[in-house]
Amino acid sequence: MSEQYRNNFLREVEANVEEGEWVKRCMQCGVCSGSCPLGPHWEHPPQELFMMIRAGKRDEVLKSSSMWMCTSCYNCIARCPRELPITHIMHGLAHYAERLGLAPKNQQTNKFAQRFWNNLSKTGRVNELKLTLSFYFMNGFMAGVKMSLNMQKVGLGMLLSKRLNPFEILGGHGCKDSKGLQAILKKAREIEDAKIAKFQG
Amino acid sequence: MADKKKLGAYICKGCGISERLDIDELAKIAKSDGKVAIAKQHDFLCNSDGVKMIQADIDAGEVSHIVIAACSRRAKTDAFRFDNVAIARTNLREGVIWVRPDTEDAKETTQEMAEDYIRMGCAEVKFMTLPSASGEQGRVDHVLVVGGGFTGLTAALEIAKAGYLATIVEKTGALGGTAAQLYKRTPVRSPFADPQDNGIADLIQQIESNDKITVHLNATVSKTEGAPGRFNADISPDIGTKTFGSIIQASGFTPYDATQLPEFSYGKTPDVVDQLGLEALAKEANGGAIKRPSDGKEVKNVVFVQCAGQRSEKEGHLSYCSGHCCMTSVKQAMYFKDANPTVDAMVIYTELRMPGAAGEDFYRNGQDKGVTFTKGIVSEVVSEAGKVSVKFKDLILNEEVDLESDLVVLATGMVANSGIDSEILLTEEDEKTEEKAEEKTEEKTIIPIVPAESILNLEYRQGPDLPQLVNGFTDSHFICFPYETRRTGIYAAGPVRRPMDMAQATEDATGAALKAIQALENAGIGRAAHPRSGDLSFPIFRKEGCTQCKRCTVECPFGAINEDEKGYPQFNEARCRRCGTCMGACPVRVISFENYSVETVGQAIKSVDMPDEFDEKPRLLVLACENDAYPALDMAGMTRREYSAFVRIIPVRCLGSVNTIWISDALNSGYDGIILMGCQKGDDYQCHFVKGSEMAHYRMSKIGDTLQQLQLETERVQTYEIAITDMERVPKIINDMAATIEKIGMNPFKF
Amino acid sequence: MTDVVATNQTILVVGGGISGMTAALEAAECGKDVILIEKKPSLGGRVAQLYKYFPKMCHPTCGMEINLRRIKANQKIRILTMAEVTEITGDSGNYSVNLTISPRYVTENCTSCAACGDAVETEFDDEHNYGLKKRKGAYLPFLMAYPQQYVIDPRLIGTADADKAKSVCKYDAINLEMQEETLTLNVGAIIWATGWKPFDANKIQAYGYDRIPNVITSVELERMMDPTGPTGGKILRPSDGKEAKDIAFIQCAGSRDRNYLKHCSRICCTATLKHTTYVREQYGDEGKSTIYYIDIRAIDRFEDLYHKTKADKTVSFLKSKVANITQDKTTANPILHGVNTEGYQRYTNAHELVVLAIGMEPSVDFKQLGVNLSINEHGFIENDPSNGGMFGAGVATDALDVNRAVQSATASALRAIQVVNQVATAEG
Repeated sequence: MSEQYRNNFLREVEANVEEGEWVKRCMQCGVCSGSCPLGPHWEHPPQELFMMIRAGKRDEVLKSSSMWMCTSCYNCIARCPRELPITHIMHGLAHYAERLGLAPKNQQTNKFAQRFWNNLSKTGRVNELKLTLSFYFMNGFMAGVKMSLNMQKVGLGMLLSKRLNPFEILGGHGCKDSKGLQAILKKAREIEDAKIAKFQG
Repeated sequence: MADKKKLGAYICKGCGISERLDIDELAKIAKSDGKVAIAKQHDFLCNSDGVKMIQADIDAGEVSHIVIAACSRRAKTDAFRFDNVAIARTNLREGVIWVRPDTEDAKETTQEMAEDYIRMGCAEVKFMTLPSASGEQGRVDHVLVVGGGFTGLTAALEIAKAGYLATIVEKTGALGGTAAQLYKRTPVRSPFADPQDNGIADLIQQIESNDKITVHLNATVSKTEGAPGRFNADISPDIGTKTFGSIIQASGFTPYDATQLPEFSYGKTPDVVDQLGLEALAKEANGGAIKRPSDGKEVKNVVFVQCAGQRSEKEGHLSYCSGHCCMTSVKQAMYFKDANPTVDAMVIYTELRMPGAAGEDFYRNGQDKGVTFTKGIVSEVVSEAGKVSVKFKDLILNEEVDLESDLVVLATGMVANSGIDSEILLTEEDEKTEEKAEEKTEEKTIIPIVPAESILNLEYRQGPDLPQLVNGFTDSHFICFPYETRRTGIYAAGPVRRPMDMAQATEDATGAALKAIQALENAGIGRAAHPRSGDLSFPIFRKEGCTQCKRCTVECPFGAINEDEKGYPQFNEARCRRCGTCMGACPVRVISFENYSVETVGQAIKSVDMPDEFDEKPRLLVLACENDAYPALDMAGMTRREYSAFVRIIPVRCLGSVNTIWISDALNSGYDGIILMGCQKGDDYQCHFVKGSEMAHYRMSKIGDTLQQLQLETERVQTYEIAITDMERVPKIINDMAATIEKIGMNPFKF
Repeated sequence: MTDVVATNQTILVVGGGISGMTAALEAAECGKDVILIEKKPSLGGRVAQLYKYFPKMCHPTCGMEINLRRIKANQKIRILTMAEVTEITGDSGNYSVNLTISPRYVTENCTSCAACGDAVETEFDDEHNYGLKKRKGAYLPFLMAYPQQYVIDPRLIGTADADKAKSVCKYDAINLEMQEETLTLNVGAIIWATGWKPFDANKIQAYGYDRIPNVITSVELERMMDPTGPTGGKILRPSDGKEAKDIAFIQCAGSRDRNYLKHCSRICCTATLKHTTYVREQYGDEGKSTIYYIDIRAIDRFEDLYHKTKADKTVSFLKSKVANITQDKTTANPILHGVNTEGYQRYTNAHELVVLAIGMEPSVDFKQLGVNLSINEHGFIENDPSNGGMFGAGVATDALDVNRAVQSATASALRAIQVVNQVATAEG
């Protein structure tokens, strides 16, 4: 449990979230929040998230959809007067929330990110055709058909200019030692889980 | 006496003066009306040839008093510097041709203007004496430092390093003051990362091993009398009277009494401490875990409450910011983090004030160590059943929070140890303003005054301590002159002057040390201190005429004048700043300076050629403060802003030096209007002689009655506050007066 | 020029702004010989370019006038303008300093009668007004300039205008043949009072100073307020010359920012509070000031000014570092985008004018100058025994307000005196 205005959650973030150790450096100027092109879509903008982390609002932060809004435009990083790698922290938070199963389930970015990861981690390479299709059909069969029809022309064009290989649907190619890759990923996950476990309960 | 004086007038023809004015006529007038023995003209008076011409006459003993009729007295000062002669500058350029149109119509009045200025310059110089240094000089290369805290120690050491003697009088039994109570101090060098040793032990060691420094512990100054160069201080007990050249008051501050903050539970529980309380806990822990006073358990979380009882308009609170407290809280939060990074240390602030390079670096380093910061307002610290909780509103997250905490540190403010507020004493003394005094005293009670015991015990007519400025501090009023002091030769340094941290106190102590040395050097040769630095003239007093009215002793802005048993003024020349306020105040005109007197100005006023009533040429007199109004008039000239040719302008040292006799003489001799131009008065006064402008305004408010008795219109005398930038406004004021005179008519006293 | 006498008991002060003038005067008034050098043609430095001082709202020229009078009255100070240090050798108590003195083309004969300025036609950007207006090629830098002596812009040399200037001068004060001079001085101690420069606002890309005309800097606002300044004392929009009544002030423009200056420039908050009084002075209740800030650093008694400003209904405060500024094409109003962090409010605010509270940067890069001084990462001089007989004063040592700069300068004067007094003792 994270107590309000104690530093437990801040420490958890520092330990488990990519670039999390920077959170304490924020001086609440708000330039990140103002610089974000998707700003209005954030329930809690970055600077507020940082304050919430310091205030120990663990659930509110991790369950928030806010950090999923980040499109990696890097405006915030460029302008942050305190050198905070905000983009990375946002992705780090999102990732961490997802790992804990706290991330909002139906959040579009999250859904796509999960598909991307599943697609990639299976063979070590992204299968673009499968990824695209899984993205189209992410929100149901009808929505997928509709989207596919919409993108028909683009798809044909890519096919003709050999930017799209229809045979990838059969499985496609992977990296040289995908078993090795799986082992690496498994080990990494074990390490991360152990780290996270320290902050559970 | 005038026969010993040899007058000479030197008229410059350059810069268009000769094209616009009849120089021969001016020279003639200098001789006939100005009674000069020599009147010479030169095409280019300020070049080496012109200067040589004047110097030759001086060397030949032809002249002892000279009038230089050329440009403004502010211009060409290097060229027109002549030793051993009295000099009057007549301003024909900025004051005449540059403010008058070059037209046929204007020619006559412009020429008359110049002629009058020649007469005025001659009259002025005729009544001048070359000032010689005060006979009062004393030279003692020894500075008294009152207070043995960090500021006092630093000042004494810096004085000794410059080769002078210093004596420290410290009222407690040990040196080091508040700084010695600090576990560590904030860093002074980049990268401003970690708290550092407070340095006091080293400083004391240096003081003790320095043979130029004497230390008296458990001692106070029970009486101070004299002046720069000859201060006699009684050091009690048992030390006796010692003589000093100058004094530094480094009496420091008292921490605000936190028991006045019941809402923060200070005094209710030992687990709420002020910043010095935390220093004591940190000292005890000495790098280990800091323990909670109530039960001795290690503090696991600590909250710092900034601006406790400060920056607040609540009764009993301090309205100002003490400046150092944000830095101090971060430093103290670092004590916890350095000993144990898992301790939670949070600073609750409304504005985090850590300025400069040091401030911002230290803030960032505090964050890197894990200190957290919350912008919020603490409403209450509650102590119940052995638990302490802080109630605050987080202004970022916009929510009320109730946070339990092991220890709460209140960042309370600094209250100056400035002794007795002489201004209150003076106001109370003045019966006429009794009501006002009450108001003022009431006002002052809002600021919790440290039990007022005098620090210096000055035997001064105007009270025993340095006058206070705002918030009880003895600060200088001037931005550009932080060591301006209202008691010459006595300089306040450190937190008694202004709230400050140790880094600033180092600079302040060193700066004050310089001023103290300068004061004793100046006293040694009888020179004035700032702002008339180097002036050798001093008030000369003719006792026979004195009526013991005490106006001079009360009005002197610098407390320079005492009273003897019979009530006669006692001038302390080395304390005098040469503003002439006493001269202006004296109703019987017994106070004067060798080169500036009721006569030098009065004769200049009377010397003008007064046209008769039917000439339709009014005459306006302007008495202008030489520091602000006169430069503004000069700049009006430089930018060719025209004004009435009927005006005659006389620069004065300070409007405070304006004696009302000048006004009545001027009206009696036929001037139609009089304008006084001084500096801004009041709380944000810009008068460098503090009260001069205010006194002048006060005196002129009384002159209205006199005017009415004479059946003269009150509009004829007007007093203005002029800023040095008012180059547009001053011509307008003059022209408006000219228009007023046109409307109300000429002065009936012309003859 | 070459008649400058200096010994190892002389104190050299580098920089003729408020700090340098103060250090020089305080030392000279203790009886020391002082040489004060200034790279510009006149003394005064940055404060001569300010309209008013906080918190009293008095005019810097008032204090300048007193200091100039002190200088005029004191024969212990020798002033060299247009002079710069090129090399320093030697050690505490015995430095050898090489100076170059740029030609002024006008001699001490100048009476500042203004004839040359009237005759010359060529105009250049007026440095005193940050280029907001033009000045003649023969000019007095500003009304209070000391030495009160004209200057001929070197770019005028060789043109017909230069000859014209010479020909109208009745006092043989113009010498077009004047050359750069070099000079070596022997001095005992050196005070560096080289001051600051405003941070280059063009570098703050998001604020559009380089492309949005109605975004100006705080130092430019100071010039606008000057009755003799480029706008005759009015706050005018550069885009259309109309009066700006709704003004935004952006704090930490270049300060407290690792992209620009890492340090806090200390003065900008209080300067902005002062600027709101300018707006009030011009428009009364009609004006509107909005301050975008991170922390309002009005320490010690400046708090009173903050308190007063907060009570002014025409002034509002927004805790926010403005993210970026765009421009409304039809009105030329700058539009500020950002988030009020107190309670998370997003804003898009149009104002008639934006004033960037620009940061202070040390004006000299000491490392490049090759002087052996201890310089911190911000470029400021730090007191260090290894500096020997050289001392920093004023803003060369930290971002300081005028009062603190003068305090620091006074302290530095004593430090220099300690060195030359030791020399004097050693030499008997």
